[in-house]
Amino acid sequence: MNNEPHTTFPQERRSDARWWNMSLRNRIALYYTTATAVLILLVFTAIYFTVDRVVYRHVDEELQHEVAEMLPFPSRTGHDITEFALFLEHEINDDDSHKERKQHHHLKDERSYHWKKKKRDVDPEFVQLANSSGAMMIKSANLNQNMLQTERHRSGISFFNSRVGNSTVRQVQVPLFNTSGAVTGYLLVAVPMKNAIIVLRDLQDIFLVAFPLIILTLFVLTRSIAGRSIRPIEKVIATAEQMSQTKLDQRIPLPNHRDELYRLVATINALFGRMQDAFQREKNFTADASHELKTPLAVVKGTLEVLVRKPREREHYEAKIHLCLHELNRMGRMLEQLLLLARHESSTMQPHIETLRLSQHINNVVERVRSSAQAKGIAMTVTCADNVTVAADAGMVEMMVENILSNAVKYSLSGSSITIAVEQSGDTVTCSISDEGIGIPEEKLHAIFDRFYRVDESRTSSTGGLGLGLSIVKKLADLQHIKVSVASELDRGTTFRLRF
Amino acid sequence: MRILIIEDEPGIAGFLKEGLEEEYFAVDLAYDGKRGLDFALTNEYDLLIVDWMIPALSGIEVCRQLRKAGSLVPILFLTAKDTVDDVVFGLDAGANDYMKKPFEFEELLARIRVQLRSKNSTDDMLRAGMLTINPATHQVFSGEEELTLTPKEFALLEYLVRNKERVCTRSRIIEHVWDIHFDSDTSVIDVYITFLRRKLEAAGCEQLIHTIRGVGYIVREPASP
Repeated sequence: MNNEPHTTFPQERRSDARWWNMSLRNRIALYYTTATAVLILLVFTAIYFTVDRVVYRHVDEELQHEVAEMLPFPSRTGHDITEFALFLEHEINDDDSHKERKQHHHLKDERSYHWKKKKRDVDPEFVQLANSSGAMMIKSANLNQNMLQTERHRSGISFFNSRVGNSTVRQVQVPLFNTSGAVTGYLLVAVPMKNAIIVLRDLQDIFLVAFPLIILTLFVLTRSIAGRSIRPIEKVIATAEQMSQTKLDQRIPLPNHRDELYRLVATINALFGRMQDAFQREKNFTADASHELKTPLAVVKGTLEVLVRKPREREHYEAKIHLCLHELNRMGRMLEQLLLLARHESSTMQPHIETLRLSQHINNVVERVRSSAQAKGIAMTVTCADNVTVAADAGMVEMMVENILSNAVKYSLSGSSITIAVEQSGDTVTCSISDEGIGIPEEKLHAIFDRFYRVDESRTSSTGGLGLGLSIVKKLADLQHIKVSVASELDRGTTFRLRF
Repeated sequence: MRILIIEDEPGIAGFLKEGLEEEYFAVDLAYDGKRGLDFALTNEYDLLIVDWMIPALSGIEVCRQLRKAGSLVPILFLTAKDTVDDVVFGLDAGANDYMKKPFEFEELLARIRVQLRSKNSTDDMLRAGMLTINPATHQVFSGEEELTLTPKEFALLEYLVRNKERVCTRSRIIEHVWDIHFDSDTSVIDVYITFLRRKLEAAGCEQLIHTIRGVGYIVREPASP
């Protein structure tokens, strides 16, 4: 942990200050805090209501107990209300100073004695008797000028909060019935709620003060933790922002732990790698194309410039003109192949797939390269059943075979042989073209389908190759969903396979 | 003046050699970087024309190794690479100048003359006494009168005047005026010197080429009358 204050995190986005564009760490902090706030609110509410209920239940039990002690003399029903009133008045307004006398006077009344004795120990309770219309008949002296409220709409024994003077009381209202079941009056007993209210109010106060504090602390903490956790992301962003086409070799340092961030960084790095490769290939292609096109142009231009500086022999002119024509032909072939590749890359070239007799097209190509093969003394043998058919574009297939075959002739030694064999097994037709040439080193096999790639890096035009042929083969094969593979052994020969 | 061309493209090497020889240069040809570097290290050249993309050793590498070996020979890059980065890279590797293919042959000649221009001269003209040589047009004047010289005579005179007041040994003369295919029979120099002296004296330029017996020749400014 360092002491860097969290407000100095780099690259904080403040450009768009609308709240839904807040930074990730603020968002995390906000979500987390909101969720926790709701949770705390629920817990507090649950606690509050539980305490509330416990407190009331306690008070209500006390009230019930008081009522039960008062009622046994005149049972709740079947007695005249006035009789009960007399008894009650006697009981409740019994002054403590007359206690001894009263005790003797009512020795038979054991329960009354206990009741009054207990009264001294507990909080004062208020007792009141009301008639059926709710009017006060008698009340305990401690009520002074105050009265307990009768709520006649309540039926049966009910507990509720009420007020006596300025203080809140918990009150029980017991209806009294005569023998015929009609309400003759109400017994009201109440106890002050002081302690209970203090407990509940304290609870509420604690909650009201603690809740915002907890939420605020939580938000600050979460924000700081979130900021710390996403700091590696900020680094990733900073590095990625510095990347440009010219600085694609940069990589984001990998984090120490193999977590999600590690995977993110590794993925981004891999993407940069692929981009760099693509840019490099494009750059190489442009450089190669410009080299390949400019060289013949430079030869023709330079040769002619030197030629016209002085008058020369006729043979000299002819030789130079032939040289220029040769170079122009080379340039022409190159342009044609480049256009072919360009057309493929802009996807304007659509193969006309039809059912072809493969042997016929292979023989066409063999006829075309026969003269150059014969010039090197190379024998070509074709093994292909007449009835083998494939689904492909006739022109494209011939071009592919011709490119491979002329390559084979080019890199074959004089007097060797080239074999073209077509085999059918099930649905797949395989056409293999094998030479006994110089072969391709294994480490260079993967690159031979690249544009302008030549195994011999000298780029001398002594072989006459342009480095585009195999690249075209690959493109055409991809267009027609033909698989091209190559196997080679140095100084033993190379075999190309086309699988239809 | 002797030039080495390191270029793998026979078409380009061919017309360069032909054109430069017609401009009275002695021209050697190397088709790859390795041989080119060997040539440059073992022979005295006045200028190198080097292609960038050549087999065995790239032009850049040839350039670097020559500079590392302490050679100060002017090097002119000739290549199809044409981005600013490429030009800067080439020049930083130690090349003196850079020409993009395809190029104008006349421009190449002019740039070669720039590289051969001596540091203390204000123009391309070479002077010694009454003698003025224009390397661009291959004209030699004695005062106002133009002399007619064969290419070899011109090349020999140009080399001697360029190295005015310095002894040119017979072997150096052979190296700079004749190309590598010439047998090292240095008596041919004496023959050409005799021809040159005869032509110069006829035009009134006497006492210009002096013999240093057993060593070679030197061109001296004639003492003022």
